[in-house]
Amino acid sequence: HRFNSIQHYQAISKMNPGGLGMRPGIILLREGTDTSQGKPQLISNINACQAVSDAVRTTLGPRGMDKLVFDGRNVTISNDGATIMKLLEIAHPAAKTLVDISLSQDAEVGDGTTSVVLLAGEILKQLKPFVEEGVHPQTIMRNVRSAGKLAVKKVQDLAVPFDMKSQEGNEMLLKCASTALNSKLIASHQDLFSPMIVTAVKALYDANALDDIMDLVAIKQVPGGDVRQSFLVQGVAFKKTFSYAGFEQMTKKFTNPKILLLNVELELKSEKENAEVRITDPDQYQSIVDAEWQVIYDKLDACVKSGANIVLSKLPIGDLATQYFADRGLFCAGRVEDGDLKRVAKATGGAVQTTTNGLYEGILGTCGLFEEKRMGEERFNVFTECPMALTSTLVLRGGSEQFIAESERSIHDALMVVKRCLQTQAVVAGGGAVELEVSTYLREHALTIEGKGQLIVGAYAKALEIVPRQLCDNAGFDSTDILSALRRKHTQDADGKWYGVDIANGSICDTFEEGVWEPSDNKCNSFAAATEAACVILSIDETIISPASQDPGAQATGMMGGGQAPMGNMMGEALDQVNAHKGGSRSGNLGNGVRYMKGRGGA
Amino acid sequence: KQSPKIMSSMAYNSASGLSGMLKSGHSHWDHAVIRNIEAAMELSTMIHTSLGPFGRHKLLVNHLEKIHVTSDCNTILRELEVEHPAAKLLKMAATMQDEECGDATNLVVSFAGELLRQTLDLMKMGLHTSEVIAGYQIASEKIQELLPTLVCKQVSVQTASDEELSQVLTPVLASKHYGSHEVLAPLILQACKVVMSPSYRVAPEAVRVVKLLGSSVSASTMIPGYVAQRGVESNVTSIEETCKVCVFACGIEASSTEAKGTVLMKTAQDLKGYNISEETKMEEMIQGIAESGVKVLVTGGVVSEMALHFIDRYKLMCLKIGSKWELRRLCQATGATALVRLGAPTPDEMGVATSVKVQQVGGKTLTVLKTPDSKLATLVLRASTSSVLQDLERAVDDGVHAFEQLCRDGRVVPGAGATEMALSLKLHQLADVSPGLDQYAIRAFAKALEIIPRTLADTAGFDATQKGG
Repeated sequence: HRFNSIQHYQAISKMNPGGLGMRPGIILLREGTDTSQGKPQLISNINACQAVSDAVRTTLGPRGMDKLVFDGRNVTISNDGATIMKLLEIAHPAAKTLVDISLSQDAEVGDGTTSVVLLAGEILKQLKPFVEEGVHPQTIMRNVRSAGKLAVKKVQDLAVPFDMKSQEGNEMLLKCASTALNSKLIASHQDLFSPMIVTAVKALYDANALDDIMDLVAIKQVPGGDVRQSFLVQGVAFKKTFSYAGFEQMTKKFTNPKILLLNVELELKSEKENAEVRITDPDQYQSIVDAEWQVIYDKLDACVKSGANIVLSKLPIGDLATQYFADRGLFCAGRVEDGDLKRVAKATGGAVQTTTNGLYEGILGTCGLFEEKRMGEERFNVFTECPMALTSTLVLRGGSEQFIAESERSIHDALMVVKRCLQTQAVVAGGGAVELEVSTYLREHALTIEGKGQLIVGAYAKALEIVPRQLCDNAGFDSTDILSALRRKHTQDADGKWYGVDIANGSICDTFEEGVWEPSDNKCNSFAAATEAACVILSIDETIISPASQDPGAQATGMMGGGQAPMGNMMGEALDQVNAHKGGSRSGNLGNGVRYMKGRGGA
Repeated sequence: KQSPKIMSSMAYNSASGLSGMLKSGHSHWDHAVIRNIEAAMELSTMIHTSLGPFGRHKLLVNHLEKIHVTSDCNTILRELEVEHPAAKLLKMAATMQDEECGDATNLVVSFAGELLRQTLDLMKMGLHTSEVIAGYQIASEKIQELLPTLVCKQVSVQTASDEELSQVLTPVLASKHYGSHEVLAPLILQACKVVMSPSYRVAPEAVRVVKLLGSSVSASTMIPGYVAQRGVESNVTSIEETCKVCVFACGIEASSTEAKGTVLMKTAQDLKGYNISEETKMEEMIQGIAESGVKVLVTGGVVSEMALHFIDRYKLMCLKIGSKWELRRLCQATGATALVRLGAPTPDEMGVATSVKVQQVGGKTLTVLKTPDSKLATLVLRASTSSVLQDLERAVDDGVHAFEQLCRDGRVVPGAGATEMALSLKLHQLADVSPGLDQYAIRAFAKALEIIPRTLADTAGFDATQKGG
């Protein structure tokens, strides 16, 4: 017994040969492990979250600014919270929680990704004084949770249901789409895009296929032209594919055509890579050459015989085939993208074939009208009046690549918002109105709570005000003036519950009347997620960072993503600064946990 | 000149006691025990704040830079990379507890740490470690004796109502992820009941978890059967009736030789017939499978485009599952045998599903296989942050383990430190009547037990001393 102990001790003391009298530190964890605990650690985690939410706060609302993120290769200009959070490559372990909620909001609702981060950051900010004063984090969490639950319930109570079937329903959807687009780059073209979005989503709703929205509604980016040249096709449209000689002789317009979809290469080439032909008799040579031609002609023949007017293939259709089809009055297009081909299959009711043997009527698709259309400088193959009227294609035009990319993200958000609307069929007013109403409600409720809870619920209520406040700040209005006017309206006026920030005039207005609407689920989800994130941060009482292993395999797993993004550095510095100011760090090196703002794997 | 060694011994410092007289580098046995105790205590103090429903979480970044936010003791210890040999013993004890019972790992570490702390006091008093050990052993035997007398309820899995069962599960779950226990308890209960064998036993690995980011915990659901986190390959995406499932461990593609081979053609006829023959072969095989009555094909490998073509033609559904482990789970759920070569399965090699459907949840595609009298249940967990999701997964794991234990032994004791306090009281009485030096150790043991209610009160933000009194 004793002997063992001595040996152990010696083994340990070797690491720190302090010797007599000097008590070597007990080495409990692996060398280089950083631990920090207690209040300073918690405060520093909160600071990190705040720094992240500060980074995205200016993008909120119709007057929000965009961020330019350069990741070493690509430039992205966006004001979509989730996109920015993703690109920032935040590595701070606590701040990553905010990235999580932003992405989960994106997956669940599709919009409101900035406000959820902002809200979580603000809740933490408002609660920080309590942590500093020594209120037990569990007490704070308990009350924050109950406040969060009440907030969600209040939103559900406030939500205004609408009837999809009526004319008003359509108006509602249009307004929701407009509200979502309002805060985006293409806000000035909402009159063009909102109806497109609503039409596309409604087609799915009627067929009860809302879940497949990502597969069925395609957004095509075609750089060039003007934004106003963007258009919606109720059916499938794709850019003219690469074509061979003979293409221009083809018929380019069909009514009620039969469509054959292939995954076959229609070109003269060897059948199989590992096949080899050996002939003993030179006379056989010609027969082999003929046979090869015969194989391709058989395939082409099978296509024509199937009765199809249009042949589309995922793989190349060569010049021989193009000419062959052109001669027989067929249209063909090779190298059609997989997604496009699948959408054509879905829309026209056809099936993609991997062989030309055994083609039969049943696998052919059909549509009301096929034509090649010229839009600006580009030509499109457009299938409309399809029997399965589910798919739609939005073709986006615009000056620069970044602009179109951002437009696509905005349209995506709006699509998701309209989808949500249709699923919940209830809306609330935007422009900070619902946040203020919930805040007012919680403030009143707080007065009925005894003890510390009153202050904490009050702080939560105050945190909700960040949304209208930030809307004003971003628009350049005096947020204090507007907020006090709003507060008065919400507490004193019985009909004031939908009053929010009037972005156009720099005052307050009934945003519900103005048609600034958002699906209620959006708000419920963002309140719930922000509350959950705040609780996760508050519940941490110790941060332990093990030294990264030098195992090259670890890098291959791509834990930290790529490299030396300047934005990453900036964030790192920003966080360091915040921490330096607040003095949250315990052990100077990395005690505050803010490190690794740069990914490792990239170099 | 005098050597420095003699100098140092001449400068005997009575304050440093024995060590002052010996060569530098010497260590005293007593010292070693104390240092071991200190190391173990340090670990236990680190962990014990995570005890109970209001236990604080730790934010851990492991050596692969993976982030965990958890209060689960076993996870914390696993990621901590404890180096100190004495502290490692504590870690091992916790790991054993986890393997044996799947829960209460924190109790092991906290209590062991507190026992060591008490030992320190005893040693200062002058007790020899062997005496302390003897006393602790008496106390621990006494506890085994006492525990059955403290049983407050006998819950039988066969007869107990759902309320009773979830009453047992709730404290386990609440201590892992407070706030979501109300949602999880009924789900776990359902899942366990689904997978319960006729002899009332539950295999913990029969309850699977699928984590999906987004929405909130209350949107979690239980599905009797298997859930794959991907869509299907085929055009058929939903079969609403009872259907047969065939599982291939290999890919569905034309078999090729491992050794490099070249197809040698001699005549033009060979060339023409080559592709056709390959196609016909694939068609024959898929046709064979379709004719055997199978509707769903599951494969562990790749599906060639040609195979997929015929799968679509024969209106079959095809699901690809990359991991062998998952494939085995699916076999377990459907009762299918994984085939290693292509071809129509025999009836007893087929599995059964009551419905197979592709669904969209939270922006992710899931394939849900519902199975009759399932041997597998899947919990689809939802939460807005990944750390919460991981925590929920662990909570489910602990909950299922708790249920499994309940199946083995239906006796329950009161929780929340009540049992510990009762034991502590009894041990104090024992100490009072014990003659000899043992009594000190027994008393220390009794005192150490109080750490549980004390910590519970501490972490919840209450005054521990008041509650203890």
